Order: sequence, then C-alpha cells, then structure tokens
Amino acid sequence: MSEKKIGAYVCSGCGIGDRLDVNQLVNTAKRDGKANEVKDHPFLCSAEGVKLIQDDIDNNGVNRVVIVGCSRRAKTEAFSFENVAITRANIREGVLWVRPDAPEHAETTQEMADDYVRMACAEIKYMGIPSGSGEQDLTRHLLVVGGGISGMTAAIEASKTGYKVELVEKSGELGGMVGKMYKRVPTKNGLQGPVDTGIAAMVAAIEADANITVHLNSTVSKTEGAPGRFDVEIATESGSTNNVRVGAIVQATGFKPYDMSQLPELGAGNADVVDQMGFEALAKAAAGGAIKRPSDGKEVKSVAFVQCAGQRSDKPGHLNYCSGHCCTTSIKQAMYLREQNDATAVVLFDDLRTPGATGEDFYRCGQEKGVTFSKGQVSGVAAANGGLEVKFKDLILNEETAMEADLVVLATGMVANSGPNPYLALDLEAAKAAEDTAQVAVLEKQIEVAPPSILNLQYRQGTDLPHLKHGFNDSHFICFPYETRRTGIYAAGPVRRPMDAHQAVEDATGATLKAIQACENAALGRAAHPRSGDLSYPSFRKEGCTQCKRCTVECPFGAINEDEKGYPQYNEGRCRRCGTCMGACPVRVISFENYSVETVGQQLKAVDMPDEFSEKPRILVLACENDAYPALDMAAAKGNTYNPWTRIIPVRCLGSTNTIWITDALNSGYDGVILLGCQKGDNYQCHFVKGSEIAHIRMSKIDDTLKSLNLEQERVQTYEVSIADIDRIPQILDDMASTIEKIGMSPFKF
Amino acid sequence: MSEVIATNQTILVAGGGISGLTAALEAAECGKQVILVEKGPTVGGRVGQLYKYFPKLCFPTCGLEIQLRRLKANKNVRLLTMAEVTGISGEAGNYTASIKLSPRYINENCTACGECGKAVEGEYDDEHNYGMKKRKAAYIPYNLAYPQRYVLDPRAVGTDDGERAKAACKYNAVDLDMQEETLELNVGAVVWATGWKPYPAAKIQPYGYDRYDNVITNVEFERMLDPFGPTGGKIVRPSDGVAPKNIAFIQCAGSRDRNHLKHCSRICCMASLKQTTYVAEQLGDACKSTVYYIDIRAIDRIDDFYQKVQKDPNVSFVKSKVANIVSGSNGNVVLNGVDTEGYNRYANDHDLVVLATGMESTVPQGVFPEGTVINEHGFIDLEESNGAIFGAGCSSDALDVNRAAQNATAAALRAIQVVTKVAAQEG
Amino acid sequence: MSNQIEKYRRSFLSEVEANVEEGDMVKMCMQCGVCSGSCPMQNHWEHPPQEIFMMIRAGKREEVLSSSSMWMCTSCYNCIARCPRGLPITHIMHGLATYAKRLGLVPKEQPTAKFGQMFWDNLSKKGRVNELKLGLALYFMNGIGPGIKKSLEMQDVGMGMMKTGRMNPMEILGGHSIKDTAGFSKMLAKAFEIEEGNIKNNG
Repeated sequence: MSEKKIGAYVCSGCGIGDRLDVNQLVNTAKRDGKANEVKDHPFLCSAEGVKLIQDDIDNNGVNRVVIVGCSRRAKTEAFSFENVAITRANIREGVLWVRPDAPEHAETTQEMADDYVRMACAEIKYMGIPSGSGEQDLTRHLLVVGGGISGMTAAIEASKTGYKVELVEKSGELGGMVGKMYKRVPTKNGLQGPVDTGIAAMVAAIEADANITVHLNSTVSKTEGAPGRFDVEIATESGSTNNVRVGAIVQATGFKPYDMSQLPELGAGNADVVDQMGFEALAKAAAGGAIKRPSDGKEVKSVAFVQCAGQRSDKPGHLNYCSGHCCTTSIKQAMYLREQNDATAVVLFDDLRTPGATGEDFYRCGQEKGVTFSKGQVSGVAAANGGLEVKFKDLILNEETAMEADLVVLATGMVANSGPNPYLALDLEAAKAAEDTAQVAVLEKQIEVAPPSILNLQYRQGTDLPHLKHGFNDSHFICFPYETRRTGIYAAGPVRRPMDAHQAVEDATGATLKAIQACENAALGRAAHPRSGDLSYPSFRKEGCTQCKRCTVECPFGAINEDEKGYPQYNEGRCRRCGTCMGACPVRVISFENYSVETVGQQLKAVDMPDEFSEKPRILVLACENDAYPALDMAAAKGNTYNPWTRIIPVRCLGSTNTIWITDALNSGYDGVILLGCQKGDNYQCHFVKGSEIAHIRMSKIDDTLKSLNLEQERVQTYEVSIADIDRIPQILDDMASTIEKIGMSPFKF
Repeated sequence: MSEVIATNQTILVAGGGISGLTAALEAAECGKQVILVEKGPTVGGRVGQLYKYFPKLCFPTCGLEIQLRRLKANKNVRLLTMAEVTGISGEAGNYTASIKLSPRYINENCTACGECGKAVEGEYDDEHNYGMKKRKAAYIPYNLAYPQRYVLDPRAVGTDDGERAKAACKYNAVDLDMQEETLELNVGAVVWATGWKPYPAAKIQPYGYDRYDNVITNVEFERMLDPFGPTGGKIVRPSDGVAPKNIAFIQCAGSRDRNHLKHCSRICCMASLKQTTYVAEQLGDACKSTVYYIDIRAIDRIDDFYQKVQKDPNVSFVKSKVANIVSGSNGNVVLNGVDTEGYNRYANDHDLVVLATGMESTVPQGVFPEGTVINEHGFIDLEESNGAIFGAGCSSDALDVNRAAQNATAAALRAIQVVTKVAAQEG
Repeated sequence: MSNQIEKYRRSFLSEVEANVEEGDMVKMCMQCGVCSGSCPMQNHWEHPPQEIFMMIRAGKREEVLSSSSMWMCTSCYNCIARCPRGLPITHIMHGLATYAKRLGLVPKEQPTAKFGQMFWDNLSKKGRVNELKLGLALYFMNGIGPGIKKSLEMQDVGMGMMKTGRMNPMEILGGHSIKDTAGFSKMLAKAFEIEEGNIKNNG
C-alpha cells in the first residue's frame, strides 16, 4: 500500500452550513486532522459532490476518505468508493440534529462538530484497507452428517447447485426416521391424506448422483480447519478412514424418540402401548392391510392416541417443550386405522396443533376420514379386559371417564441427536483452575452422561455445535434462523428445533444455502452475517503476546485455536469480525486492518479537552454499532436532543471494547464514560452472542482502575440498550451529564 | 433513475418484507444478481409495524437494521421501491417481468433533511399506523424506513402542498412531474414474497369491529405499544383514551373459519400470548387479560412461552369461539358465548377487545404464467408446474417470522439452482 | 348399548351417520362452541349442539337420543351461518329428533314432540291441516281445565282467523279433505315403507 493520503470532505448541506462554521471545520481538518486534501461542498452526496471525491481518489492519490456530514448509516450508496478507507464525521445526526438551534448553543455545537472532524481524521490515519487473505480456494464441496430426510435433502439440493457432497450416515442405510415410516403427512394439499414418504425415490436419486458420495456405517471422527478448508476424517465401522476436504458442513443428525419407558403411568411396558415410531413399524408391517397389535396379532379395532405424552410438562424426566409434529403424526396414523382397519381412532389432545394452511387442511382431512377427536387429559393407561383401559378427563363433557382400546399410541416427543455441549470442557477447565471442587464434580458428571461427539471439531472451544435450549442446536435469533456460533456449520432438521418432515425439508434446503454461502464467502475472505462481506480479520503481534489465552476462550464463535505453545491461531473463515478478541487482549496485540485499539484510542485522544474550570465536561460514549448507534441516529431524526459534552464512537460490538480505552479516557480527562451494548443473558440480543455480556464483566473490573485514579465509580457506566431505545439513550447521556455536574469535573485534564 | 440491468441469470424477488429481504440477501451473498421489488416506499414489511417479536420479546428493528446494512453493502442487489410486479411471462430460466413504478415524487437527491416535511400542511392517514394517526403529505414512513428518502403523497401533487414541498427542497429532489413507468425485465427465476395482510376485521360481523370503538385488531394493538405510535406507547381504549382494566383477546378472528379464512394463520396464538405480556408489563395487576381460543398453537420449543403466560394470575384462558359482541355500558362491550370446557355460558364484560385477526395471502391472480398453481388458500405451493416461480414466507403458507426467514432462505436456493443452470448452459 | 366397551367407539357415531339426516357431518365439529353461543334458545336446553356432538363421539347413545335438547331448535339457522366448519347443525338437530322419535326414545311430555305428533296425525288424515282441531288438541293437551283457559286466552285470535276465512268453525265436524285421500294414504304408506327399508338396511 502506498503512502496514506487523507482527503476530508465537508458537506455544508442539510443545514450544516447554516448553523456551523464550515470554514472552521475545514481548518480543523487541515490543522488538527492533518488531512492532505480538504474540500467543502453544499451538497456532497450529489453526483457533483461524489465526483469531487472520486477525482481526488483518481487524480490526487487520496486513499483515506473522511466524509464530514451525515451518519455512516445514511447515503451509503453515494459514499461508497472502491479501494480506499472511508470514515465519517457524523455532524448531522450526531451534532446538528441533537442540538437546539439557538445562539447560546452555537459555541458548544461547533465544538462538538470540530471534535468529530478531529476524531474521524485521527481514526482514518490508523485505518488500512482490508483485503481478503487470498489464502483460500473455493471448495465446492459439503459434508452432510445424517442420512435422514433432512440430510438427504441437503445432499440433493447441494448437488443441484453444483456442489459435491459427502453424506455420512451412522447406520447401514439412508432414510432415517421418515424411512421407517409407512407414509408421511403431505407437504401440500393437506386434504389428500397420508402420502408416500418419498424416501425410496430420494435414496435412488442419491445413488444415481455422481456428485454425492455416501458413507454408510460411518461417523465423523475428526474435523479440522475452517469454512472453505475443513479437513474431515470419516471413520467407518470396519475401522477404515477417509479424509476429505470440504468447504462447509450441514449437521442433520435428527432426533431420537423420547424414551417412553419413563411413562409407566401411561402403560409403557405393556406390549400394546407403543410410541409413534412403534406404531409406524406396525403400519409398515401391515403394508396396507389391517394393522395388528403386538401382543397377540389381533386386528386392532380401537386405538387411543395420547398426545403430549411426557412432553409440555415440567415433571422431572419429561420434555418441557412441544415437539410440533405429534398432532399431525397422530392424525396421519389414525387415518391408517380408519382406512386399513375400519377402526375407532380417538385422538386425546390438549391443544390440537395443526398450524398453517396445510396443517389445518390435514386436521379437516382426519375428521372427514372419521378420526375421533377429544379434548382429554389422560391420567392413566392400564391393562383391562384383555385390552387396555385409558382413563382420562373429557374436558368438553367435563367428566372423568375411560375408554377401552386394543392399542394405545403415546405421542412422545423428539429428543435432539446433538453432540455434547461444547462448553462443558471449558467450564471444567475453568472450575479446575479455580479449584472449585463442587463445580468440578457437577461438570464431570455432566460430561460423563453427555452424548458422544458428532463432529469431533478440533476447536479450542469444544467438539460440537453449542446448544441453545433443551439440547437443540438452534439459532437464538428470530430473524436469523441460520445464525450459527460455529461459522460454516449449520444444523438442519429436528436437531435444530423440534419439527415435522415438511419443515425439515425446508430447513435443510435453507441450511444448504447457508453452507454454500459459507464456501463462497470463505473463498473471498468475506465475513458471514452480521458483518456480511467484511474483508477485515484479526491478526496479532506474536512478539507481544503473553499466551494468556483470553482471546481463544472469549471468542463467541470458537474461531481461535491455540498452537502447542499457547499462541492464538486465527481462522479467518470462522471469524465473524466482532473484535471480542481485540477487546479481551490485555496486551493489545490484536487488531484488524481497519479497526483496532488505535483507531478508537486515537479518536478519543483527538478530542479537544477543555480544562477543569471550563464547565465543559467531556463524556465518551462507546456505542454498539448494531443497535445503540442506529437508535442514536433515529433519536436525532425524531428531534431528540442531548448534551453537547458527549462524544460518541461506534464500536463493532461492545465485546470489542478494550479496557485500555476506558483507562486512556479517564487519564486524558474525560469526566464520564458510557458503554452502550445490547441485552445480555438468556434472552441475549447481542448479534455476537456474548459480546455485551463479556463487556459487562470487563467493566465490572474497571472499578479498580477508578479507585487507583481516585475517581468516582459513577463516572463509568455500562448499559444494555436496544435499537428501540430512541428516547432512553439520550436520557442516559443526559443523566451522565447531571452526574458529572453533581460530582464535579475530572481532575485529570492537562 | 439509473438503468436497471437484468438478465436471465438474475433473480427477481417480489416483496421487501422480512421474507423478500432474506431471500434477496441470501442469494446476493451467494454471488447472484438480484432485483428486489417493493410496492411501498420502504422495505421492512409487516415486521416493521410490529412492536416486539415473540418469544424473545426483542425488537424487529434490531434484525431489520442488520438486513439493511447487508442490503446497503451488497452491490448484487438492486432495490426498486414503489414498484410492483404486474405480470410475468415465459418459463424457468427465461421470464419477462413487467414492473410498474409508481411516482414517489421525490428523487434520489433527497438527503432526508426534512425541510419538505416541515413545509407541507396536508395530513393523511398514516398507513404505517393503520390509519390510527395522521402523517404529513411529505413524510418518511417510519424511523427505520429504507431507502431513507421522503415520499410525497400523490394527493398533494397538483396542490399548494406539492409546490411548498418543491420550494422547500434545496436539493432539487422534489419532482412533481414524475410519471408512472413500466419496466420489462428479463429474469431467470422469481421468488414471490409479497407477504400477508390482516384479514379485514369488519367482515366478522358479529364482532362489531366497525361498530364498537373498543374492539380493535391485533395489528392495531401492536402499533399502540410503539413509543412513536398513535398513543405514544400507551395501552388505551380508543373510545376515551383510558387504560383498560379487562382486555379480551379473541383468537381465530377470521381464521380456521370457512366463512372467512379456512386456514390457521399460525402466528395469532403466539401474538396474543405476547400481547398479554405487554399488558402485564405496562399495566401489571391493574389489568386482566382473557384469551378466548379454540386451540392454543404455541408450537415447538416456544411452548414454554405459553407456559409462562399461563402462570400469570392476571391472564385466563377460555376455550371458546366467541359468538358475538354486544354493546355494554360506558364504552364496554359484552362478549357472549359458551366455554366449551363443561358448557358454561358467559356474557363477559370487557373494556377492550383485541381481535386476533388472521393472515390473508397477497398472492395476486393474473400475474403469473399459465400453469402456476395458487392453492385454495391463496398460497403458492412448491409445484413442478410452477417452473422457477417460488413462493417464500407468507406467500407459501401462514408462517411466523422465523419460519418465513427459513422458508425464504430455501426459496433463494431454489432460485439459485435455476440461474446456476442457466449460467452453465450459457457457459 | 351405551356401556363401558362402547365409550368413544365409533358405533354410535356410525349409527348417527347412517340414520340421521346429515349425521355424517357430526365428525367435522372442532368444539369451538360458536353454535352453542349463537343459539337464541341457549338458555333452554340441557346440551347445546357442540356438546351433543361430543356426546355422540363419546358414545352416549341414550343420553343423546332421550335428550330434549334437539327438540328445542327453532330453525333460526344462526348456528349454520356461524359454524366455521360448515356443519348443517339445524338439520342435524332435526335429524336427531326424528331418529329419537322413530326409536321411541323421546322423553315423555316433550311438548315439541307432542305437537309434532299432533300435527302429523292431523295432517295425515285428510291431507291438509285442520286448524281448528289442531288448535284445540294443542290447548287441551294437558287436560280440560288448562284447555278451557287457553281457549279463552286465544279467543280473539280465533275470531280473527274466522273473520278472514283462515279457519272455519264447521271444521270441527270433520273438515274438508284433499281430492284424492286414498292416493295420499298410498303415498304415505310407500314413503313409510321406503324409510323402514332404509332403517333396516342401515341397522
């Protein structure tokens, strides 16, 4: 990269020129900002204004661009220049719109704007132009783990998109759970009744597809690398292994039925009490003829389906969730009985959950075929009169009653076939280090009963995908179902969330897209969501590193491994560019090309610091760019105001906040520091999972710094805010101003 | 407007709500060219009108902001707002789509400085707030609207307001001569994601939505909670602006009903459960909520949300489709019906009623090539005969946000497969 | 027949499906209760329609067929208009009543049933309704005393009907009949035979 040449472009439009001294801003950029080219324009985002900048880039060697005008969230189409570093001095939303237009405020408003010019110029000096590492090739090859309907869908869809697939199945055949079914619920036109599972056709398609290699009786014994370059070892039962390189992974390991032996009160143990998969086996054996009961081979004439068996219940050992598919599955099975046995089929339910158009159609179809539905709470199933007696409360008729049945089907739930919680091992490590023997015992027990690993990831942060809830590998985000905490690895089907076969097919198709996207991104060094397309990635100065391992432990995405000496090993493809590692590093050796301890540190130092007696405090605000910063922009657009002492710096995630920024700010005379991050905890809204939480932990330790400087604790505040806190955030900023008024200015002004 | 470039390797996405945005961005981030067409002046769709999402009770704008950032950063997506797909002909890999562009009367010069909004005087019903409040004739639809550009109401064009807006703009952005245009684009595949509209509540005659002030819909209730909404975020009775003490939520208001929508709209149970938590949060013990339902469909792992609401002593559940609503005293209304659990007749007095109105598909007739199958509920099934026209989100079934995004991602892959094949054939 | 074994079996439901007009729609009920809530007679019956449908599914044969509930239906059609599943509830109610009557399970002193029988007896004799006889029979249904009282109450209505030629006092003597009473009787006999056959076939 050639010499850095800074161009600063001051827009005087949108009222900026009316209320601010634009010449002074220009001078500030020249004098304090040391910008090489400084120009102003009355309408910078116009074609003419943009051309002014482009000309400087093309002809005057400008490669660092500072736009002094609106927020970085506005006019992005206009201010998008190739091959240069760009930043904004936000004097429209950040100054003009949040300050009252009155002569008595003119001075402080101008000071604010001048500071933002200084800050942007200081930042851009330390910004490089990120470019992909270029290390990686495009690997158009996926690993799909699990040969059920989800995994087979992923394989077929990937192949249709021109990708090769390694399809690994633990058992000796493809098909999974749906393959063990007699028929399935239709995906469209729910009024047609149960339809062929389609599994045979899928298996045939896979066998005929040269893009798909099937590994039966196989498991993944080792996964190393990152998106674009995963090296996977596939072990077969016979002991042989295969090594393949894939670009991304779809984990479609499905579910196992809940262990119904835990439901003796519902007759578990009686041969004629089966779960839904048990009933599918009976239906499959009957092959369209009359379904017979297991105990004596008698043709069944009456069957009770007990919904929510061992689920939606907080009793110990029960599943405290709804498995989503069981209502339609029971309706389907009841239809077999109506058609093949002319039998009574009673579905005893609490809430009949057949959502959507197809779901409700299927319910109607069941009714048309004569399935009996009763809102009933089953209290017990026991042998009686050569059959079974089902005791229940008929909630409609409001009476305790009972019915006799030849066979009872328990609609038990789905248990995710996920790997072990990857954080158990890390937690154990931490507990051992802390010599917490009780916790060590608890964790050791949990590790002992944990399922075997599925992916065997050779990651610092464990072998498998993290769990979200109830053992499912789901995304935590409503808007982003394929958010993953292990970039390039996507859960699909019932291992992600309880779901039916139709959902599983949709889910696997979506997950396949994400896996393909991960390959394409990795090939270009681009970040995945939420910093889609970001080409920057962290690197570290090895000579300064103390091998403290904080970065490898705190990375929310398990992106950083350790070499044998304990130095971090970055994996660009796994990294989401949040900067949590940078915030974690006590010796500040981690940085991105365009985002570093310096880019922020220099900004906060560039602020002109009035003396202690000026009555002009300075408040540093580090605001999460995902939620807090847009909320500030919207507050400005709505005409909310806040004090002129505030200087706001957006950060990629509060997790990227290095405590040195706080220490530097306090040492250089800031009177207050505010950190604005997202909600943490169980319902976290942090787009980088743990960033906000980690920042809060770090800041809880800042008290020592404050003490050593003999400063009041109130001077540093950390908040969880949301993007909707358009009124609250300005209030938070003003509250700090009032606090400072109360406790006085910082003595650290030079 | 700069030229819109499209080829038979381009994916057309109709609808800029959460599903359309997701489909467009996922495809674009796989390196495909996408044209995203939105009928209104802003992307964001229905979710932009929601206060919070279930079950996390987080803000939809949080995810929208990320989508917008992805959109701004991605040069593979061309966004057209005020644009509507009016016809598609051809076949998979080679469609011609007609797109009608309505005039916004404000061009790309707009800096969102707000001067035109200050200058105009006329006010109209605010669509973003379902007409519960007024907005100016020159306006930005809502805080997070994108493109961040003003819109001039067509009714103001040709009036003094139009001239006022024009005079106020320093950037020559107000163009009163803007005309409707039609584009003909060649595209390879289509993702149809025009979403849903709330079922017109007045059609459910016995519930008297059009007769009683204090009978409102679930989408209107959402707007009430928005601090920038019609009531400044306060839950109040429309009749007198007083906080309610006893709210009824009526499920299946228009859904699961052959007189209205036959299908189950899936989201309304969770939406009402979510809304009871708004009531609990804002009004605490001062307000009771009663949910009248047929089945509570809190499906899969979010059933725990239902369990949490059930534990709230201020929320009760009645298994009943309410028969009718009649006028009571003091603006209250009386709900008549039968609690079917044990046959208990009721005539319950409530001071506010929220109808959990269902989702009606907006998939149009007469736009698609012959042979495209739209099912009896108005949704686009995944059918061989549909060629490369793929329904996504609530154009494929009644879906919640999470499933809509999931489904849109799947639809994006299906579209990619078509254009990838075209690319391979054309070398 | 309604015993432990038959509870929630399809036997009674099948019986209803086979013998009751539009009884095959009973299975489509989803227990929303809008029929029960919409019924103007809801304060007057023991079991509202949706509950009757659940009782049928539960196999409560005697309780359903001997119930007076379905006799209370006034054919306002509110329930049919509102039913989200399109059940012809009014028709099913009448069908159930007819079936109960046929089986002799109607509760004694069920006024609607009694009136129905009187109407039929009155009509089937001469092929047309004898208003005077029907009215008097109805008034005296519960004995002489109440009959006289009711007749006096209805005096004005009766006079009005006579004045406008809607009722002829001479009808008390027997009244006029349709032209071909023999043919009419034959028709009724045939219809009866067909229905008996149907009942036999359907079990």
